[in-house]
Amino acid sequence: MSAVATHLEQGHAATHDAHAHHDHAHHSVSFIRKYIFSTDHKQIAKQFLTSSLFFLLVGGAFALFIRWQIAYPGEPIPVVGKWLPDTLVSSGAVQPGFYTQLVTMHATVMIFFVIIPMATGAFANFCIPLMIGTDDMAMPTINMISFWLVPVAGLTIMSGFFVEGGTAAAGWTNYPPLSASGTGHMLWVIGIFLVGFSSILGGMNYLATVLNKRAKGMRMFDLPLTVWALFITSVLQVLGTPVLASAASLLFVDQVFHAGIFIPENLLTPTGGLFPSGANVGSGGGGQPVLFQHLFWFYSHPAVYIMILPIMGVVSDVLATFARKAIFGYKAMVFAVMAIAFLGFVVWGHHMFLSGMSPLLGTTFMLSTIVIAVPSSIKIFNWLGTIWKGNIHFTTPNLNALGFISTFVCGGLSGVFMAIGPIDVYIHDTYFIVAHIHYVLFGGALFGIFAGIYYWYPKMFGKMYNETLGKFHFALTFITFNLCFFPMHMIGVGGHMRRIHDPYVYEFLKPFQPINQFITIFAILMGFSQLILIFNFLWSLKFGRPAPRNPWRANTLEWAAPAHPGHGNFDRDITVYRGPYEFASPESKRDYLPQWIRPAHIEKEEVVAAEKH
Amino acid sequence: MFDFSWNMLTYFPPGISTYSKALDDLFILVYWISVAIFLLVQITLVTFIFKYRTRPGHKSIYYHGNNVVEFIWTLAPTVLFAGLGLYSDEMWKVMKYSSRVPSPDVEIDVVGQAFNWHARYPGADGILGKRHARYRTAQNLFGIDPTDPKGKDDIVLTGEFNLPMNKNIVVHLSSVDVLHSYFLPNFRIKQDAVPGSWIDVWFNGTKAGKYELACAELCGSGHYAMRGVLNLQSDADFAVWMDAKNAAKKAVLAAEAANPQAAAPVPAAPVAAEHGSSH
Ligand code: HEM
Ligand SMILES: [Cu+2]
Ligand SMILES: [Cu+2]
Repeated sequence: MSAVATHLEQGHAATHDAHAHHDHAHHSVSFIRKYIFSTDHKQIAKQFLTSSLFFLLVGGAFALFIRWQIAYPGEPIPVVGKWLPDTLVSSGAVQPGFYTQLVTMHATVMIFFVIIPMATGAFANFCIPLMIGTDDMAMPTINMISFWLVPVAGLTIMSGFFVEGGTAAAGWTNYPPLSASGTGHMLWVIGIFLVGFSSILGGMNYLATVLNKRAKGMRMFDLPLTVWALFITSVLQVLGTPVLASAASLLFVDQVFHAGIFIPENLLTPTGGLFPSGANVGSGGGGQPVLFQHLFWFYSHPAVYIMILPIMGVVSDVLATFARKAIFGYKAMVFAVMAIAFLGFVVWGHHMFLSGMSPLLGTTFMLSTIVIAVPSSIKIFNWLGTIWKGNIHFTTPNLNALGFISTFVCGGLSGVFMAIGPIDVYIHDTYFIVAHIHYVLFGGALFGIFAGIYYWYPKMFGKMYNETLGKFHFALTFITFNLCFFPMHMIGVGGHMRRIHDPYVYEFLKPFQPINQFITIFAILMGFSQLILIFNFLWSLKFGRPAPRNPWRANTLEWAAPAHPGHGNFDRDITVYRGPYEFASPESKRDYLPQWIRPAHIEKEEVVAAEKH
Repeated sequence: MFDFSWNMLTYFPPGISTYSKALDDLFILVYWISVAIFLLVQITLVTFIFKYRTRPGHKSIYYHGNNVVEFIWTLAPTVLFAGLGLYSDEMWKVMKYSSRVPSPDVEIDVVGQAFNWHARYPGADGILGKRHARYRTAQNLFGIDPTDPKGKDDIVLTGEFNLPMNKNIVVHLSSVDVLHSYFLPNFRIKQDAVPGSWIDVWFNGTKAGKYELACAELCGSGHYAMRGVLNLQSDADFAVWMDAKNAAKKAVLAAEAANPQAAAPVPAAPVAAEHGSSH
């Protein structure tokens, strides 16, 4: 093909050669630079992906312990129970203190170390440079740091399991005063601060990259929705995360220096003593615990959109590709994402309807929250519009994307219940919330993440995953997911509180034990179904069929890069001539028309460029 | 394994407060609207998946969207959801706005302490004595002002509380250590107990019986067991119970008066001037 490509390919082969024959010292340096402290966005994406998958298994294991205890309280955890130390279990059964650590660590791991790094670490890193047709991020070193903060933060938080008093146990929301003492909580705060910086650095980098490094001819409205979503998410990260960092810092000051920012006057400790606090006995005022909640949710509500918006983008791209049809209302989709992001900053109070804030404020938060269901609805309708009159291929990524729509609707609707203040009074802090969280974060974000992993697997690793295993994984996960989480709505409206070690202390919760057992059985099945994904992932790395350059016959720029792109990504100059969703365009005889094909070359070049392996 | 019902109300514990019916109605209204939207979307999704599945000879169309449709499906949910929000606000006002709290027939203080609920009744004089956080100790959880004579006869109970039915009850809620949440499932009321603040909760129960009181906010390892019982009684039964408590308290006070040394030492109240200078 072009001279550039040949040159690059030769160059590549030459390095390979040199590689094989070089002395050891040089080799080890390049190994570290290449695989560990790499600044290549694709390598960093893989690192984010690997660490998130690892944490997914850890968080999943915590969840199964929780489920076991709540379905069969006091009975030893099967298999692993006998290996755990007596500080955590008594004769193999989860102790109350361990239970609260488990719910805290499960959610902390899943939110801060799985979904956020997956959405804004793995996908942003992999997709942004490739989809905008450039060689790397604007700031590759910062990018590398942004990854390495994650395992450091993860280890910091996890190390809490080995300190006196155990790890953080105040819930992932970590409200003081409960979280204002104890080494475990201190480690949690430090870890969150670090992982927050990972987010801020990443976000800055993505913004800079999208604004400055788009391929020739690429306008903002030529960006695929994945990039748009990541771009807007980056704004949320950059504006929101510093507030989380400030909440964490202030809490740290309370923990270490007893500043009493969140500690009211003359507070007792659980043992009946006085809580050490600068604002102690005799002072007129004292600290305000609810302030922490404001700061925390000012970040954490936008954070739920940090977790879902990129995934909505991924789902849009996957749906369009496999429906062989343009996105319905591309601009409406972009504006809906902007609306969600903007509204996301003015609704945080819906997590605090019961915090004792002014009821008038409650009314305003109730109205703003319920309005956020509108852009969410717009997105659902546009996805349906996208597959309408399409030509839908049921590949694994698309099954996951369709599954996403189905479950996200349910999560959005349960959100409406909770957005309504008076209903939330009753269902707040019950399993209804747990059901909502999982419908949006597992049913939504995680299905979308699966879609993205399968969709970009060929470009990431140069191999095709196994389609049969992929479909099997989807089917099992989808069924077990719904059977596991749907019944939580029912026990939720039954008044079943969340985060309780043994529900059957309460008479009114005793009848719910069979439902809890039902949920647990499907939770276990769902947990083990994920091993199929891991197996497929690893097996295909070695035995997968080599991937073609553009296996899905998609339009976006990443598919213009070689099947397994090396450092620098592209082997040809990229110029963008059209939008990302020209499927079934009358201009071309084929049902797709990639962004990079020159109008004059439509018939000739698309065969060469798009399908050459 | 368990009975499944489409009617979510079957899973609710029996509602017995004056507003529980209205709340359940609001819930079920939102529920049926949600079911309708849910089915609409799922049926459309499945229909499209089936109708537009790939098969030999089938082609997709070239289409980028339609602004009229876009406008309609923006407006429709806006009207629906905003309407729902405005409609529900009335219920919110009833439960929360202080201007809407009915004049109390009975007022008590409740504090959460890991992992128990404590209540303070006004005692024989029918008036709760003054309280302030600065007087709080592990022995005086409510921070009852020792200089206020009205507080002397106040009665403090733990775990099980009696209250009269068909009366407007106002609970002044707080916590002495961490956050808790005062949850009476049958009354459909829940309120966080926030240390440092006193928050009013009101309810009016219409059916006598013993009802469970739960803590709904994670407050430590014993959170799950922070259970209390609310015993809702007829006026007459409640009066008998209250009289007995008052009589017992009177006896204790009399014994203390007869033997002052045995009485718990009262911490001196710091003078106002000290407050500013001490920090
Ligand atoms: C239609 C849109 C949505 C609405 C109206 C909505 C509404 C709400 C409300 C009112 C709460 C607070 C409930 C309570 O604590 O009592 C809540 C909790 C939550 N929502 Fe949503 N939500 C929506 C979408 C989402 C999405 C897309 C995500 C994540 C991807 C999400 C994640 C969460 C999480 C994690 C919580 C629980 C936080 C906790 O641990 O307390 N929500 N939602
Ligand atoms: Cu929120
Ligand atoms: Cu509690």
